[in-house]
Amino acid sequence: MKRRRVHFAALLILAAATAGLLSQLVFGGSDRVKIGDGSVSALARPSKAADTLPESVLAYPFAERNFASKSGQGSRLLRLEGTLRLYAVPGKEGMLCLIEVDDAAATAGGACADRHVLLTGSIFMADRQENGSQLVVGLVGDGHTYAEAEGRRAPVESNAFLLRGVVGSKVTVGSPTAVQTIDLGD
Amino acid sequence: MEQLIRRPRVAAVAIVSALALGLVPVAGATSYIYWWQRNMPSNGVGYDRMTAHNHFYNELYFGPNAGWSSQVWEVTPAGYRHFDKRCTGNCFNAHPAYYYTYAYCSNRDGSTHFVYDCMDKW
Repeated sequence: MKRRRVHFAALLILAAATAGLLSQLVFGGSDRVKIGDGSVSALARPSKAADTLPESVLAYPFAERNFASKSGQGSRLLRLEGTLRLYAVPGKEGMLCLIEVDDAAATAGGACADRHVLLTGSIFMADRQENGSQLVVGLVGDGHTYAEAEGRRAPVESNAFLLRGVVGSKVTVGSPTAVQTIDLGD
Repeated sequence: MEQLIRRPRVAAVAIVSALALGLVPVAGATSYIYWWQRNMPSNGVGYDRMTAHNHFYNELYFGPNAGWSSQVWEVTPAGYRHFDKRCTGNCFNAHPAYYYTYAYCSNRDGSTHFVYDCMDKW
């Protein structure tokens, strides 16, 4: 009887260790602050004509390899600031994509990542400008309310933020009760 | 000039010529995969430095499970860096072909990851 209890206890410990290891691998570790559940409510709102991705973006190899559908079905325009447009696009196999298009600069860019990233941070892009600063744009999950760099805070609107003139290598994103750090690199 | 454009045949030739000129850069575009299905260590760099080209596209593709930092950028033979973009996961940067450059891509995570490919276009 005692032996069976020992076996049962060992089994419980093994199961707990396995669960812990899996959560570390999948969610990035328990030491990382989590905000929300990874939902992006902007993707659930009714679509408008402006949500359609430009043909030029759909023509890049990136679109076929990353978007859930070749036509970028389900995309939503998150932000329009001057000539810069930010879109969220459902990606393949649970990915989410952030696409930026600047008509005046004739540029486009994109980042697609596993949506679990939204629990502990942002799917972001940081573009080095000619003056050395960075334009940082990000897609965040529901619950995030702001992004901040060097004391300048930008609101999250439609699950997106935009920070211009970022000189340092850190951006924080957060909610009223929690803060996460994004490392932009050197 | 106004009289010329009013003539349908001249106008048609002008439109076709303009379209043809506009499509030249696309029609003549060349793609090159400079990193192909290999592990890339933390901060490892893939590059296309065979010949400088007037690039308009640079892409890094890990695969559908990507969730870590990446980077694509270009450098002129003289060492000037342009079109430098950091991303989360798979990443592309499309831009006007302003400069003759070499193309680079990098895994900016703290650990090694499989990179399906890095591709540039000019």
